[in-house]
Amino acid sequence: MEIEKKDGITIISTDERLDAVVAPKLKDTVKKIAEETSTKLIIDLEKTKFIDSSGCGALVASLRTLIKNQGDMKIARPSPQAQTLFQLTRLHRVFEIYEDMDQAIKSFS
Amino acid sequence: MDNPLKVKIDSTADLLLLRPLDLFVRQLVQQLPAFANHPSDVDGIELAFNEAYTNVSRHAYKGSNNKGPISIQIVVHSDRIEIYLEDRGVRFDPANVKTPNLDVPGEGGLGVWFIRKFMDHAVYSSCEGKNVLLMTKKFPDA
Repeated sequence: MEIEKKDGITIISTDERLDAVVAPKLKDTVKKIAEETSTKLIIDLEKTKFIDSSGCGALVASLRTLIKNQGDMKIARPSPQAQTLFQLTRLHRVFEIYEDMDQAIKSFS
Repeated sequence: MDNPLKVKIDSTADLLLLRPLDLFVRQLVQQLPAFANHPSDVDGIELAFNEAYTNVSRHAYKGSNNKGPISIQIVVHSDRIEIYLEDRGVRFDPANVKTPNLDVPGEGGLGVWFIRKFMDHAVYSSCEGKNVLLMTKKFPDA
């Protein structure tokens, strides 16, 4: 998992798999980032080829944590497998999802 | 006549082994000609196995160092693939898990639902301290 800050936006790039092994780490990381109020966060899923229920749960938890602290979260570049799961679980209605990173960044302006 | 291909792995239920076992299942399914043009089925079978293995690793052996034996058996028939997961931990019948309310996004409770969604059958049985989950997926064109 890599974290960078660009134009006041924090970008977390997740690894190849977002599963039960790393889901707790993502939740903890977002919790720390969200301590700062009004955090703007993008979860970049470009490298993530596989996501499971724990990964979906960690994304929901992350969004809730941010909203609680007046922040916001967008998701960028989900794989076809992730898109399938988001559609099935209707999470595509919960998350703001962008296929392009620039669009995700612009959405905060 | 059905001459099934079989593979059995006796392992420890531990999340440390989740990824290597997931990849083993994925690569086996990918090599089956029946799934050659069905990548979403390959994804679905991998996900179902992942969720089942994660459930055993997280819940079956609570109170005993969280680790215990798990036996994984994959049987490839001429028209379907069967995946068995056998443990000796706490009984956990997926049939008792409620269907998630998708209008209220939750942070958990999707794993069993994914198994039901991506496999054709998922049957759980428990007898003499042995719990077995059998997941079956028919070949796409069978």
